[in-house]
Amino acid sequence: MLRFKLNGEWIECEAEHNETLLDLLREKLGIKSVKRGCNVGECGACTVLLDGRPVNSCLLLAPLVEGRSVETLEGLRDKPIMRELIEAFVEDGAIQCGFCTPGMLISAYSLLSRNPKPSEEEVRRAIAGNLCRCTGYVNIVKAILDASERLRSED
Amino acid sequence: MRPLPRFRVHRPESLEEALELLATLEKAKPIAGGTDLIPLMREVKVDVKHLIDLSRIEELNFIREEGGYIRIGATTTLSDLVESELIASKAPALWEAAASMGSPQIRNRGTIGGNLCNASPAADLGPPLLALEAEAEIRSLDESRCIPIGEVFAGPKVNSLAEDELLTEVRFKTPPQGAGSAFEKIGRRKAVTLALVNAAAYIEVEDKTCRVARLALGAVADRPMRLGEAEEMLRGKELSEELIEEVSALCSKLVRPIDDIRASAWYRREMSRVLSRRVLLKAWRRCKA
Repeated sequence: MLRFKLNGEWIECEAEHNETLLDLLREKLGIKSVKRGCNVGECGACTVLLDGRPVNSCLLLAPLVEGRSVETLEGLRDKPIMRELIEAFVEDGAIQCGFCTPGMLISAYSLLSRNPKPSEEEVRRAIAGNLCRCTGYVNIVKAILDASERLRSED
Repeated sequence: MRPLPRFRVHRPESLEEALELLATLEKAKPIAGGTDLIPLMREVKVDVKHLIDLSRIEELNFIREEGGYIRIGATTTLSDLVESELIASKAPALWEAAASMGSPQIRNRGTIGGNLCNASPAADLGPPLLALEAEAEIRSLDESRCIPIGEVFAGPKVNSLAEDELLTEVRFKTPPQGAGSAFEKIGRRKAVTLALVNAAAYIEVEDKTCRVARLALGAVADRPMRLGEAEEMLRGKELSEELIEEVSALCSKLVRPIDDIRASAWYRREMSRVLSRRVLLKAWRRCKA
C-alpha cells in the first residue's frame, strides 16, 4: 500500500513497483490534468509538484512518492496565484490546443511562488522544460508576465 | 517504447541498509533521480530485478565546506547545486554546468552521483569536476575507496563501480582566493539538450603568472577528458589572449571525437577550439576579478 499526500490530502492506494506516478494519477486516481506526452521527461506535459517543486511524473516511479506531497492543477486551481495565471492564459490567448497548458501552469505557478517579479528571461527559463507544439510561446510568456503584474497590483 | 521491466523498489533509509541490499539482492541497481535510468529502461532492455531508491538516505544529501574541501553528497540534486551560495562563489564552473542541464523539472530530480554514474561521455558535470580535480568516494559494505573523478568513467555509458558499490560523495579542494573557473557548452538548443561539446577550465594566477591551469572537455572522446598538453602550455606563463588562442587551436587536435547523430567529428573539433578559448578566457577573467 502506497501512502502519500495528493493535493493536500493523505491518500492510500495500490501501486505497482514499476508504475510511474503519471500512470497512477491518470489511470487509477482520475487525475486527468496530468498529460502523457513524450514519456521520457522532455515535454513537461506531465509536470506535477513534488514537495513543492516541479518534476516530470513520467520519470518518477510511484513507490518513490511514499510519504511525500504531490500537487496537480486539480488541487492548485483555487490558489490565488493559479487563479490569476489561468485568467491571464485565457485572456492572452496562451492556450491553443491546450495539451501543454496544465504543465505550463504548474511551472509558471512554481516560478511566481518563488519569484513574484520575474523578468522575461526568468519566465522563459522557468518553462524551458515545457514544450508547446502549437509553438504559442509568445502569448504564454506574456500571460505569465501579466499574471505576475496583476498579482503585485493586488497587494 | 518498451514497458518498464518488472522490478521491486526498495527504500532504505540509511547508507548501511542500501549497501546491504546491493550486496545481497541479485540484479539490483541504485536509483536516485531516475531521469536517466527510466528513459534508458524504456529504450533498451535493462536486466534489473531490484531498484534501490537512494533518495531517502539523509547522509547522502549535503553540500558543505570542511577541512579545506568542498564536499557534496551523491544524491545532491542539480537544483541544490544551483541554489548553493558556496558552489556559486567558489566553483562557478560547477554551478554553470548544473544550471545548464535539462530543465527545472530534471534539475529538481537529477543528482550529481547519477550524472557521474550514468557515465555519458557528454555528462555536463564531468568537465568541471575534472577541472576542479575532484575525487569520488566509493563505498561497499566492507570497503571504502577514493578515486579521481575521471576514473568513475569506464567508457561510453559504463561506470567503473562494482555491482555492490555506491558512489557516496564528490569532493574537491576549496579553490583559493584569486582562482577562477568556468564552464561552457554547445547543444542543439539552450535547454533539455545533450552537449555536442562541453568544456571547463580552472586557473590560478599569482603575480601575473599562471600557476595552475586545468582544462577538460566532454563529448569529444569516450569519456570526459583532461587536456594535459594544453595545460602545460599555460603553466608558468603570463596569460594573454594570443596564448589562449594558440592553446585552444591545439585543443582541437588533442580531442578524439566521433561522428554521431548529434554532430560530426569535424564540428566537434572546431567547437573544442571555440569552447576551450571561451572557458580559459572566462576563468582567467574571474581570477582577476
